[in-house]
Amino acid sequence: MSTSPGKVASQAEAAQAYMKKGVGRKPPSLVMEIIYGISLGMFAGYLWKMHHWNNQRRTRQFYDMLDKGLISTVVDEPGED
Amino acid sequence: MYPAGYYFAVAHWFLPPFNTEPWQLGFQDAATPIMQGIIDLHHDIFFFLILILVFVLWMLVRALWHFNENTNPIPQRIVHGTTIEIIWTIFPSIILMFIAIPSFALLYSMDEVVVDPAVTIKAIGHQWYWTYEYSDYNSSDEQSLTFDSYMIPEDDLELGQLRLLEVDNRVVVPAKTHLRMIITSADVLHSWAVPSLGVKCDAVPGRLNQTSILIQREGVYYGQCSEICGTNHAFMPIVVEAVNLKAYGNWVSNQLCQQSN
Repeated sequence: MSTSPGKVASQAEAAQAYMKKGVGRKPPSLVMEIIYGISLGMFAGYLWKMHHWNNQRRTRQFYDMLDKGLISTVVDEPGED
Repeated sequence: MYPAGYYFAVAHWFLPPFNTEPWQLGFQDAATPIMQGIIDLHHDIFFFLILILVFVLWMLVRALWHFNENTNPIPQRIVHGTTIEIIWTIFPSIILMFIAIPSFALLYSMDEVVVDPAVTIKAIGHQWYWTYEYSDYNSSDEQSLTFDSYMIPEDDLELGQLRLLEVDNRVVVPAKTHLRMIITSADVLHSWAVPSLGVKCDAVPGRLNQTSILIQREGVYYGQCSEICGTNHAFMPIVVEAVNLKAYGNWVSNQLCQQSN
């Protein structure tokens, strides 16, 4: 990789170089990359939240059914009252 | 009404026989409101953890992706950026605030002392077993219900029992009842811990530590001593058996009769 001073430039100069000479690609936009990263992070977080809400719903259902007597956590042993 | 299979599925969702399964990653199922609060707090914090992890990984991978002489021959040289530095200071502070609010709410709710618990049980740590005292009930000679709880050795286990977890005398308590546990030690430091109840309380010689428990369903809950206390520290487990009120009353009567005989 060449890092000679002649080729080091700021973001604006790199964009200008691209526009003038058509060299390389359009340089990446930092702001857009940050937006993409945050969006991906929020999406992944939303998937986790869905897992959490599902767990909460199942827990609530479990205790509702337990309170109504539809299920029990006690195994009926033969010979007990 | 739902088909019978639905009820089985819901019950089975919550109870593999012992609240645990092979290669388990997460917490055991909660049996108290405190443990449920701990799990919910963990889920809240994990959301931010995932968000930050994915964001940082994305930035790292994209930086490596773009650093290519052919596609981007002229690298950028960024020295400083006041706006972004302000943003990446304020944003984490906001995240910390969102984490702190549920955290303090849970912490202070855990610290609330139950004013009038129905049952008080003392747990006394020894090397290497626990002694439990139910001082609310005295037998005819005014001696409280007291018993020792030793681990069942591996050679004496029956089929289906758990290695290093079973004890000869369980702590029987009533479900859906406010309990007060008073923990202390007769010799060295121990710790009375039951993960599914969200309880961990140090047993300090010369000191009484108190914790409150409300077990929401009948069942058997396992724990282990959680403060190094000598050579058999790993072999003094705790087993709490929550039963209905009638069964609890019968058990107390039986125990008192046996003790007075």
